[in-house]
Amino acid sequence: MTRTIQLTLDINGHSHELDVEPRVTLLDALREHLLLTGTKKGCDQGQCGACTCHVDGKRVLSCLTLAAQVEGRQITTIEGIAAENGDLHPVQAAFLEHDAFQCGYCTPGQIMSAVACIKEGHTGSDEEIREYMSGNLCRCGAYNSVVAAVREAAEAAR
Amino acid sequence: MTIMETRKHGSAADGLVGGRLSRFEGDLKVTGAATYALEYPVDGLAHAVLVQSTIAAGTVVAVDASQALAVPGVLMVLTPEDDLGLMTASDWYGNRPENQPFLPLPREVTYNGQSIAAVVGESREQAIEAAKLVRVIYEEKPGIADIDDAKAGKGKLMDNLSVAWGDAEAAFAAAPVRVEAEYRTPREYHVAMEPHGLTAKWDGDQLTVWEPSQWTHGMQRNYAEWFGLPIENVRMISPFIGGGFGSKGVALPYGAVAAAAARKLGRPVKLAVTRPQNFTSYGGRAATRQTIALGATEDGVLQAIIHRGANETSTYTDYPEQTGAATPILYKVENFSSQSRVVPVNTVTPGALRGPGKNPSAFGIECAMEELAYKLGMDPLELRLKNYADHDYQSGKPWSTRQLREALTQGAEAFGWSRRSHEPRSMRDGRQLVGWGIGCGTFPVLRAPSAAMIRILANGRVEVVSGAIDMGQGTYTILAQTASEALGVPVDQIDVVLGDSRLPGSAIAGGSMLAGSITGAVHKTAAAARDELIGLALNDPNSPLRDTGANTLTVSNGRIASELGQGPALSLPELMAALGRTEIEVVRNTLPEDAQSLTDQNAAWSSMARVQGPTMGDYSMHSWCAHFAEVRVDEDFGTVRVSRIVSAFDCGRLYNPKMVESQWRGGIIMGIGQALFEEGLVDGRNGRTINNNVGDYLVPTNSDIPHIQVISVGVPDHQASALGGKGVGEVGIVGVAPAIANAVFHATGKRVRDLPLTLDKLL
Repeated sequence: MTRTIQLTLDINGHSHELDVEPRVTLLDALREHLLLTGTKKGCDQGQCGACTCHVDGKRVLSCLTLAAQVEGRQITTIEGIAAENGDLHPVQAAFLEHDAFQCGYCTPGQIMSAVACIKEGHTGSDEEIREYMSGNLCRCGAYNSVVAAVREAAEAAR
Repeated sequence: MTIMETRKHGSAADGLVGGRLSRFEGDLKVTGAATYALEYPVDGLAHAVLVQSTIAAGTVVAVDASQALAVPGVLMVLTPEDDLGLMTASDWYGNRPENQPFLPLPREVTYNGQSIAAVVGESREQAIEAAKLVRVIYEEKPGIADIDDAKAGKGKLMDNLSVAWGDAEAAFAAAPVRVEAEYRTPREYHVAMEPHGLTAKWDGDQLTVWEPSQWTHGMQRNYAEWFGLPIENVRMISPFIGGGFGSKGVALPYGAVAAAAARKLGRPVKLAVTRPQNFTSYGGRAATRQTIALGATEDGVLQAIIHRGANETSTYTDYPEQTGAATPILYKVENFSSQSRVVPVNTVTPGALRGPGKNPSAFGIECAMEELAYKLGMDPLELRLKNYADHDYQSGKPWSTRQLREALTQGAEAFGWSRRSHEPRSMRDGRQLVGWGIGCGTFPVLRAPSAAMIRILANGRVEVVSGAIDMGQGTYTILAQTASEALGVPVDQIDVVLGDSRLPGSAIAGGSMLAGSITGAVHKTAAAARDELIGLALNDPNSPLRDTGANTLTVSNGRIASELGQGPALSLPELMAALGRTEIEVVRNTLPEDAQSLTDQNAAWSSMARVQGPTMGDYSMHSWCAHFAEVRVDEDFGTVRVSRIVSAFDCGRLYNPKMVESQWRGGIIMGIGQALFEEGLVDGRNGRTINNNVGDYLVPTNSDIPHIQVISVGVPDHQASALGGKGVGEVGIVGVAPAIANAVFHATGKRVRDLPLTLDKLL
């Protein structure tokens, strides 16, 4: 397969032109073609959550999404959630404060999931936060701190 | 009791050693700006994909790559036919076989999932497609699937691991109370969230490798020896590592494949090992079996411990997973015997996974101790305290520090152990059976020489520079704190540069030896830099502090001044400007004075030859912990959930409690996974790892984990390290699985001696 397709992707409010094979995933489009490497590849088969991005404000696994599927939709990655002036998003700040990561590899996916989790309203209790953050594996084991960070950011957002 | 309350950062003490400074490189990680190995933009990149064997044992007779080569964009297919011209590298200790070729794509297959070919294409997608079209013809031989295969046999006795004192057999035979059982742990895997892989790039005979590395200098040497290069011709770059847990400490065959492909093609090559391929590209923790026999008096005084252990290894390397590692040092016992065997099977050679040896070892002895407690009708906490080891009975040496008694008593108090009801099945909450259990853990203090550089720049910023790495333990953070304290410069004026083999050499980030070793080197270097700064300020003709009459000066909060206030208090930029210096650079190391040659230094940074074990000095030095676990077992379904954990640790002085608590919790969580979920499954017909993905090989998710309370009972141990800390990263997992297994017995009355504790074993 060598045929390529022209795509225009709206990522973090900016338009990006791409000329890629139709089988290129959104994850590989971001990492290999657009140098937006904040989105991580942990399994490439939809099991770990490290590649979590937002499409039209909802969390998706970018490794199971073809780049061609998301043309014309709003894609948000970890590079796009801090304020214009560089101030961290409240969820990013809470992750830093609570030490909700160690190696940092699952962190962008955790944060993108956490932002969506708060928006979805799934932060009513620690149990609910745990359940709705369980699609994002963290092998370093920062789960207690992830729950604390999400709880604090959710309270601040109310 | 010192319960570590979470505290907001911002205290004046946070920048000093022992403060709760937030993760120094944290901004980069929460914004996605931290750059991991496969994320470096390199021009002209080609992509390599591995092809792995589908048989357990045999010979590659032929590889038909014609279809693969016909795929558009495919540049090359490497097979066992290709002579890559590589030589075998040294082992960890620096020993190297002479004139032994290294074949990263071998003709002889020794396990299922072994790399035997590689496809390189213009794009990864093209290479993946082509890799599926590579046809391999094998001549298959009978294989041994795993340790339970009838053909596996009893294995080989590892004489160097035999330990004995007193007369254990006689004391056991004479003991009025005896327990004896076999404990089993399955294959377990690291599953670092960042899969392995690398980008390799040649510039003439200079090789640059971007690869996650727990040891940049060790892996630099590995590549140099494979390719016959002077060590300085190889550069390993690894400033961020997405988790390692023992898996990223050596260069692996796939790395040789990528670098050889790059050399053949004359362009850089990126090779990303897929998640399934990670399960066989390097070894996880070996499956283990061990029999423990304990003899005791009727009032619970241990008389004898007999341990017989075995673990799987590969057919080509004897890798001992030392199930007898914790057995001799947890308790006071006058009669002891331990022997270990390795059982070769057709697997990739197992490797070091968090708490190697100590972890499965503690599963044996800590389950056995609770079995003894129930046989005696004694509280398991009381039994442990009653047999407390006042010194190391194996080496005969005194402990440097051992706060295990404090860990047991303070952990018990925080957990509420005194409210326990002894009888199994005697505590419940509705349909949930509730159980409590204890597991103790230990890990030795290992030390290695290290080097560091401090650069004071004209703008007043201070760089701390080391080839050491940070895979999440907090190296960036604690080195900033160490330099801040030793130099007298605020932490926000400090930059830390790590993870590059061109930088000063360092201990491996493994065996919990990095923090203690590298803080010692940085402290020494920073103190020397401070002395040099003061010397210049007192003696340089251009220094405004020269004629103040002061004998010495202090550096505090980034200003240099005389103690009595004679003359000005200068900021670093002011002093550097007055001195006319653009930088002051100081390099120091912790090697002995008689081992400072370049050869000595290269050997020290790239081999384990100078690593100091726990009993090489006058003391026996170890970290210690006690875990208290509560489980809830569904009476009808047998499902086990861990509902509460309290763990108390003696890791000496904590350089940054915030980072330490995170590592402790991380180890405990991996221990929960080990206890409840993790088990590599092997197809007995062909030796294939069946569950080679994270949907089938289960690691803990957020909803599996309760709040975990961690307590520090340690005291500074200056025998163990320059700044008083002992190892933190490994010990957290050790003892967790037995605490949970013991709690499950307390809840259900069923003793499961075979991890993981899945519901089928409880129904």
